[in-house]
Amino acid sequence: MHTTKFTARVAKRSLAIGKCRRWNSTSVDPPPAGGHLPSIATSQILRTTRDSALRTPGLSFMDEDASGPSTTIVGGRETRKMNTYQAVRDAMSIALQKDDTAVVFGEDVAFGGVFRCTMGLSEEFGRERVFNTPLTEQGIAGFGIGMALMGHTAIAEIQFADYIYPAFDQIVNEAAKIRYRSGGQYNVGGLTFRTPTMSVGHGGLYHSQSPEGFFMGASGLKVVIPRSPIQAKGLLLSSIRDPNPVIFMEPKILYRSAIEQVPIDDFELPLGKAEVLVPGSDLTLLTWGTPVYHCETALHMLSSPAPSLEPLVPASVRSAKIELIDLRSILPWDVETITDSVKRTGRLVIVHEAGMTAGAGAEISAEIQKRCFLKLNAPVKRVTGWDTPIALQYEKFHIPDAIRVLDAIVETLTY
Amino acid sequence: MIRFPAISRNFSRQWTTRGLATAAGNLPNSRSPIVAKLKFFNSVTGSDELIPTYRVLDGVGKPIDGAELPEIDEKLARRLYENMQLLPTLDNILYNVQRQGKISFYMTAHGEEATIIGSAAALASDDEVLGQYREMGVLLWRGFGLDNVMAQCFGNAEDTSGKGRQMPVHFGSPKHHFHTISSPLATQIPQAAGVAYALRRTPGRSSRSIAACYFGEGAASEGDFHAGLLLASTIPSPTLFIARNNGFAISTPSTEQFYGDGIASRGPGYGIDTIRVDGNDVLAVLGAIREARRRCLDQGRAVLVEAMTYRVGHHSTSDDSFAYRARSEVDDRKRIDNPIARFRLFMESQGWWNAEEEEELKARLKADVMKAFKKAETVKKGELGELFTDVYGGEEPWNIKEHREELTGLLRKYGEVWEPWRTELARFKNKGQDLLKRPSDS
Repeated sequence: MHTTKFTARVAKRSLAIGKCRRWNSTSVDPPPAGGHLPSIATSQILRTTRDSALRTPGLSFMDEDASGPSTTIVGGRETRKMNTYQAVRDAMSIALQKDDTAVVFGEDVAFGGVFRCTMGLSEEFGRERVFNTPLTEQGIAGFGIGMALMGHTAIAEIQFADYIYPAFDQIVNEAAKIRYRSGGQYNVGGLTFRTPTMSVGHGGLYHSQSPEGFFMGASGLKVVIPRSPIQAKGLLLSSIRDPNPVIFMEPKILYRSAIEQVPIDDFELPLGKAEVLVPGSDLTLLTWGTPVYHCETALHMLSSPAPSLEPLVPASVRSAKIELIDLRSILPWDVETITDSVKRTGRLVIVHEAGMTAGAGAEISAEIQKRCFLKLNAPVKRVTGWDTPIALQYEKFHIPDAIRVLDAIVETLTY
Repeated sequence: MIRFPAISRNFSRQWTTRGLATAAGNLPNSRSPIVAKLKFFNSVTGSDELIPTYRVLDGVGKPIDGAELPEIDEKLARRLYENMQLLPTLDNILYNVQRQGKISFYMTAHGEEATIIGSAAALASDDEVLGQYREMGVLLWRGFGLDNVMAQCFGNAEDTSGKGRQMPVHFGSPKHHFHTISSPLATQIPQAAGVAYALRRTPGRSSRSIAACYFGEGAASEGDFHAGLLLASTIPSPTLFIARNNGFAISTPSTEQFYGDGIASRGPGYGIDTIRVDGNDVLAVLGAIREARRRCLDQGRAVLVEAMTYRVGHHSTSDDSFAYRARSEVDDRKRIDNPIARFRLFMESQGWWNAEEEEELKARLKADVMKAFKKAETVKKGELGELFTDVYGGEEPWNIKEHREELTGLLRKYGEVWEPWRTELARFKNKGQDLLKRPSDS
């Protein structure tokens, strides 16, 4: 992976350069006359005030008094403005601070990581606890499994989700099955894989992938994808402490672009639970990771289409109430929340960046079709990447962006 | 991308200590001396010779010239011999039991008794062991017991290794510091590096325990072998790699497995102290592993031992090895280079063993194994509901719950009338009633 890693660095560098010229897949070109479409920077989903941050649903503070129960008391809590990589770093810093057995390792994590997620951690906690490994994904996974077998907390980084496949055997045949095959005698609950995922504007085939679907059948494993800094911190701390091996996929385009006020204390968000971001009664829009923001944009385009889109968005659907849900946990996924929602709305659109065939959307739509058969008023629609590799110069036409989500909503509402 | 050693971690060896630069100097990223002579090389010994094999006893159990026997007294020698003899006793009975269809699968350790028992004896009883599948002898040495062996092979209700979930010979016991065996080859090798690193970070065990990792020469062709040795050397940890080079990976002779000088030649490439040992000489194995273990602890680094032996038995009960090697070749090896016979002759030369004791031991071991076998044969399988437990720790996900309930519903519907299920249910403890009587399902 010699050249590959070199490319990774180039991608990283251009990400850094692109910092001020924030790439935004949700904008249409030219922008609408009104210019009020939300982007990641102006998203209403992001919690940019202390008060709203502290009222994040499901958030529980894990205070120093370990024997006491977790608390939801918000008074006196501080928040700090963080982007996603800073929130990820903050979570790991807390994990390392509170758990002497915790270690962080992977390719290039010691100097701070190619996405800055481990900045300063090796200086703060020492090279014995935050260290580089040789370039070997199967080795990183196996090493983490070994540490977790001894009851230690292993936080492993796979530099890009695109490079997790060399570790597939260790993850699926080993990590996922160890508790079961040993009759519960051994487990690797202390193991967490962090890995950047999803498209970034110019990642091409191997810096853009969303491999969550490949792990969805690996019973024994959990797969989690956050959408924002608060989510990243809370879900990562839960993942690190969950008694099962967890793959934590961080949408890399959100590392710098998504910014929230993040509580500085130790807090967790529940795994296996979806979150309803916008309540509605006419259609359920289910997604996770980066496309959450494309979906938000699509909802605005639906209710107030730009003049150029007006002929394509019938007036009859513009006032539709769309329920937007962030799935957050891909395995196990929150079947209850999605079923309840679809039973109310009668319509489901699933949006994910990975290709359609055997993607996570296939699993979810099959299950919802089974549970909500009599309530469904339209076929379950999937808006996904095409069943092709992710071609560099074609990305805008590959990803499920706001216009494709809008189209799916209109088609499903008018079925 | 060239990686410069300038930011090498503080606990790793500095490149600057390696060799001496010549007057011609060296490249900035290496201490390798620059030479003007064009010379390729292919051996790690510095000549065209192969890596030597360490041995202390000859084929008839006599110390060879210049050999220094490892410290051993009569008590230890007798224990070694008994355990070496126990393996073929167990193997013969379980092999035949498989042939009668009473267990589904088995793998013998014929011919590798000295490698397995000699190394087991050299390890501390709480060193963490990660094996491949032919290392049951380590568990026996540590007192796992014949009942547990039988329970695992039968997969019955008393199987502590894995509740009947894994194939026979996939043993495991945290009490005996023996990590549960899994079928995918070599996966345990990088895991061992992680186990050893955790040991290094565990107060009380950091200077006392190592991780010992066994694998065959075939498994060493997997990428995980490379990853494991690389990790244990660059992120120094007390990991002892023990390669059982028995000449075959199922039907593939080692000549088709590698072109270099075995497994041992690879160790130096990773900067790992390495030795090749006669795996049929239990005293050489004992001595080599003891010293390897000492180095692991003293240096806090990985060590590699390649034990040269010969797989006398078939690969497994699913294999007929005479399809790819001559029966006479195997018979010759059994006769000329039998690790048990070799050590027995040594024992006799010391006055520690005689024919009478041999008869008594063989009869006793056979009786013990048969007793355990007969006991295990009558034990039912565990509870059927264990099919669904231990997939996850903590709260059980909805899909597992629902699948359990679905099977329960199907059992209610078909359990009595579908013959394959009815027959099978009778073999389970409680005949599936643990599921059928569950109050939670609807």
